[in-house]
Amino acid sequence: MDEKFDCIIVGAGVAGLAAAMTLARNNMKFLLIEKGEFAGAKNVSGGVLWGSDLAKLVPNYWEEENAGWERYITQRRLTFLDEQSSFSIDFKSSHFQETPYTGVVVLRSKFDRWLAGKVEDAIAESDFPMDSFIAPNIKVDEVLMEDGKAVGIRTGEEEFHANSVIIAEGVNNLLTRQVGLQDDYVPADHVLTGIKEVIRYDQEKLEDRFQLSGLGGMSNEYIGYATDGVEGGGFLYTNRDTISIGLVLGLKDLREKGKSPHDILNHFKKHPAVRDTIRGGEVVEYSAHVVSSGDKRIMPKELYKDGVLICGEAANLLMNAGKAIQGMDYAMRSGILAAETIVKAKEQDDYSSSTMKEYRQALDESFVMKDMNSFQDAVHMLHSPQMFKDVPNLICDFGRKFFTIDNEPTPKSRKMLAESIKKHSSYWDLMKLGFKGAKSL
Amino acid sequence: MSTILTHIAISDGKIKRSSLEVLSHCTQLANDNGHQSEAVIIDANASQYVDDVKKYGVSKVYVIEDPIFKNHINTPLLKALTTVMEQADPYIFAFASTEGTKDILGALAANQDAAVLSDVSEFNLIDGGISAKRPVMAAKILSSNEAKADKILVSVRSGSYELAENETDGEVVNIDFSFNESELKATLREVIGASGDKIDLSEAEAIVAAGRGAKDEEGQKLINELAETLGAAIGASRALTEAGIMDPSLQIGQTGKVVSPQLYIAVGISGAIQHVAGMTNSKVIVAINKDPDAPIFDVADYGIVGDLYKVLPPFIEELKKIKG
Amino acid sequence: MKFYVCIKQVPDVNAPIQIKGEELIQDTNRMILNAYDASAVEEALVLTEKHGGEVEVVLIGPDKAKETIRKALAMGAQKATHIQTSGDENYDSSTYASILASFFKDKEYDVISCGKQSQDTDAGLTGSMLAELLNLPYATNAVGLEIEDNQLVVKRQGDTGQEMIALPSPCLVTCSNDMNEPRIPSLKGIMQSKRKPMEAVELSSLDVEEDNLAAKTTVTGYQEKPEREAGKKFEGEPDDIAAEVAQLLDTEANVI
Ligand SMILES: Cc1cc2nc3c(=O)[nH]c(=O)nc-3n(C[C@H](O)[C@H](O)[C@H](O)COP(=O)(O)OP(=O)(O)OC[C@H]3O[C@@H](n4cnc5c(N)ncnc54)[C@H](O)[C@@H]3O)c2cc1C
Ligand SMILES: Cc1cc2nc3c(=O)[nH]c(=O)nc-3n(C[C@H](O)[C@H](O)[C@H](O)COP(=O)(O)OP(=O)(O)OC[C@H]3O[C@@H](n4cnc5c(N)ncnc54)[C@H](O)[C@@H]3O)c2cc1C
Ligand SMILES: Nc1ncnc2c1ncn2[C@@H]1O[C@H](COP(=O)(O)O)[C@@H](O)[C@H]1O
Repeated sequence: MDEKFDCIIVGAGVAGLAAAMTLARNNMKFLLIEKGEFAGAKNVSGGVLWGSDLAKLVPNYWEEENAGWERYITQRRLTFLDEQSSFSIDFKSSHFQETPYTGVVVLRSKFDRWLAGKVEDAIAESDFPMDSFIAPNIKVDEVLMEDGKAVGIRTGEEEFHANSVIIAEGVNNLLTRQVGLQDDYVPADHVLTGIKEVIRYDQEKLEDRFQLSGLGGMSNEYIGYATDGVEGGGFLYTNRDTISIGLVLGLKDLREKGKSPHDILNHFKKHPAVRDTIRGGEVVEYSAHVVSSGDKRIMPKELYKDGVLICGEAANLLMNAGKAIQGMDYAMRSGILAAETIVKAKEQDDYSSSTMKEYRQALDESFVMKDMNSFQDAVHMLHSPQMFKDVPNLICDFGRKFFTIDNEPTPKSRKMLAESIKKHSSYWDLMKLGFKGAKSL
Repeated sequence: MSTILTHIAISDGKIKRSSLEVLSHCTQLANDNGHQSEAVIIDANASQYVDDVKKYGVSKVYVIEDPIFKNHINTPLLKALTTVMEQADPYIFAFASTEGTKDILGALAANQDAAVLSDVSEFNLIDGGISAKRPVMAAKILSSNEAKADKILVSVRSGSYELAENETDGEVVNIDFSFNESELKATLREVIGASGDKIDLSEAEAIVAAGRGAKDEEGQKLINELAETLGAAIGASRALTEAGIMDPSLQIGQTGKVVSPQLYIAVGISGAIQHVAGMTNSKVIVAINKDPDAPIFDVADYGIVGDLYKVLPPFIEELKKIKG
Repeated sequence: MKFYVCIKQVPDVNAPIQIKGEELIQDTNRMILNAYDASAVEEALVLTEKHGGEVEVVLIGPDKAKETIRKALAMGAQKATHIQTSGDENYDSSTYASILASFFKDKEYDVISCGKQSQDTDAGLTGSMLAELLNLPYATNAVGLEIEDNQLVVKRQGDTGQEMIALPSPCLVTCSNDMNEPRIPSLKGIMQSKRKPMEAVELSSLDVEEDNLAAKTTVTGYQEKPEREAGKKFEGEPDDIAAEVAQLLDTEANVI
């Protein structure tokens, strides 16, 4: 009973659960510890889980009737807002109907719990049905280090030993700091706060309103007036009979402008373009959570050490380049890769950095780090005032002119665009931005 | 013609108002459906309550008087109830939902092979039984229920029905009852803290309820002063009864009591659903809380956002002025 | 002393719920150990830790209720019995009491503990029904338990005061959550719980009379409670708003 585990995973969020599933499937003896009352209890996301990794963890997940996910994405929309108007790019395609889906919308308290149930099943089928555990309601206070090598964890007075520790503790990465991989101080301009409401409708009404068929769903990101001039953006995703609507806002900018996220959300909900989409309905849930900016400059110095791997948002793996927030898919893939590295370490009976570094290599070669590297400029740009103010204003202004028919001679659209640009930005600024944008996206 | 029987609960030498509420409803049901309404009083001084009960349209009042009923003990009470049921043969036997009732309702149902619905907020006769509404999920939701059987027991939350007097010359039936101490399976060692003079929460017209926010001496002083000014009963959230600051019998909510006063003032109470479960039937709710997002404000008619130590003194002052 | 604690799996009343047609739907599907039963388990553990003995939990429910049994084992109960049902039955308190009575018929024990009520339905009937069916002395709504000279001394919360009642063994008690703060299972407890014996009992093996399995009461539907509208919220100078509300209680609400 008191023998060593192959691995202890801290945190049953998306990253931790993905790691646990991978370990269970590979017949490893592990412990997954979660401080919440149950997996997903306090976890927050918008949330679309992008990509097909879920199908790797739970093959054919779409066949299960009452599964942990809400809808799969069949329609995507990007909306620019100014005070009065909205200008949307809308994309719908039947290729979105094919499995594995491009993304599923999830509510974390349900999704994480469901996935945890799947991990329990996998444990039961593994070589260690009685010796691998998911333990909720337990907070890990410390990663035990001996001679610079992780040897287990401590919770309260109890210590548990393992050959390796995967830290999947999410964005408030205290343990990552404790093992010395992240500096204690992270500047406020690298921290965002996300808030969200879940609003319930009659399911049929919701499906009619958003023109959804079956379990198809829509994702809508918003840029511009959504945030009342504060750095950030908005989102709206459709669940089975609810929508998730919310914002991600720069903490420093919020403070400087003296605004509260709650007020900005109300402001967003009152925008003419949003108001009518969400009218009726009953707010059934409100939540807030810190989000990493996805800026590479605040990533931990390294993602491994002797016996330790950091994955998910604990490693600040996140991408928010405007067209989507990607945190869960990064968490999932990094969790899988971390666990695969531990499996290899067990085979080679070497949990030192020389094996652990293979995790970093695998991550570098995956979409996670490739995208993080290539879209850094887009990330920076999204956080520039032009992006959440001037550009949406300009686009909406152009839209207003282009779509207005008023029994006056209509100027050529090129002229309209020129006027809008002049009003909201200089040619020079726009060219710079365009150039940057072209390079970054 | 069947019998609808109502149990009259006595507490601290008084008839519980909630019993008379149930009786009023049962008499109404009996009159509307061609049944008869009867009542039973089981107490050490049962006969002294007969006249009051007769005011509620009963055709018979059964009386079981025995010193054993000075305190609540379940074995003799069950025996008495079974005896009455044999004699009165009620189709429906209704109770006010009190701690005394909750103690024996299940046992009586098992003993009589009766169907039972506890803690209903409403019930009516249907073909072959009763239909009833019960608050469930910490009183967030109402469930509709049916009980169909030859005998049906039902207990009703306080405040569910209005009193309706309806004087009749009901017959008084004294039931012979004897209980031998040796039949007692358990021994009642003592009764602690039963208070004759405090206002019964479930019957109070005004209640000042204190929560964790008012847990220190200063807070308690203010609560007492406010209650005194209004002539209100004092209640508490679990945070205070659990901490031993307030008597457990004052707890309001899912575990504690259900109240339905005209005025309910929640001071320093967050408004957890388990607390709210016991007080949403109040007519007017006032909440004083320093947290503007406290859920108690969702059910309050008047929400005062502020520190209770700063709000209560001028509040009490003003109320004193109004009271003259 | 040997304690049997009857535990039930209930939906988490704190999670958002909705009514669809006649059914109650809980968005998260989260089921938990009835809070009152958690207190019953806790108290039995405290008493046996002090006076010796054993705690066994009994649950009637479907396969997914195993999670709840595990929780009680992780808290420290030594053994469990799982009386298996499909979970789709319309059982009421009297059905559960009948099933439990059949189960306990040939068992040896000192105390059967129940929760004072189910957190979701607040029925509060099963305990005293079971006591009657087994002909046991009992007390409900316990807020404190002690063992003295092989008797169970119950502090029971009555309408006004508290009653101290001594019950000879075997006896039954129903517990309020006011008696303790149930422990949160430790990591060691969680790990040990997997190896503790959990006996599965088929309902059919218990010989419950057909008649007793048919519930005498049924839930025919659910409705939203007429919701209280949030009223006016007053923010500002304490002196001003306090006086204003006091005035309104007099002139507008007419409750002074
Ligand atoms: C408003 C908002 C909208 C978002 N929208 C999206 C979206 O649409 N798509 C998307 O992909 N991403 C989105 N994200 C980001 C995404 O939610 C995160 O990137 C993702 O949850 C990270 O997963 P994780 O497993 O690394 O961390 P988490 O999900 O945060 O999980 C960490 C877990 O570790 C536990 N834990 C922490 N410390 C300890 C400890 N000491 N002991 C035990 N347990 C511990 C926590 O309780 C938690 O369960 C959004 C985020 C927010 C806030
Ligand atoms: C099965 C079950 C049954 C339960 N049954 C009951 C029950 O019957 N009754 C019950 O009450 N609870 C019950 N509870 C507990 C319930 O969930 C809450 O924990 C409890 O009601 C909280 O009490 P509280 O509001 O006083 O304390 P808290 O939740 O701690 O709230 C204190 C409030 O005081 C405010 N405050 C603090 N200082 C000040 C100040 N200076 N001025 C103004 N405001 C201030 C705070 O903002 C806060 O909102 C039950 C729980 C369970 C699980
Ligand atoms: N399915 C069940 N399995 C075990 N015990 C139960 C079950 N249902 C009810 N009980 C017991 O009865 C109590 C609740 O009674 P009631 O409020 O009548 O539902 C619980 O606290 C348990 O102790």
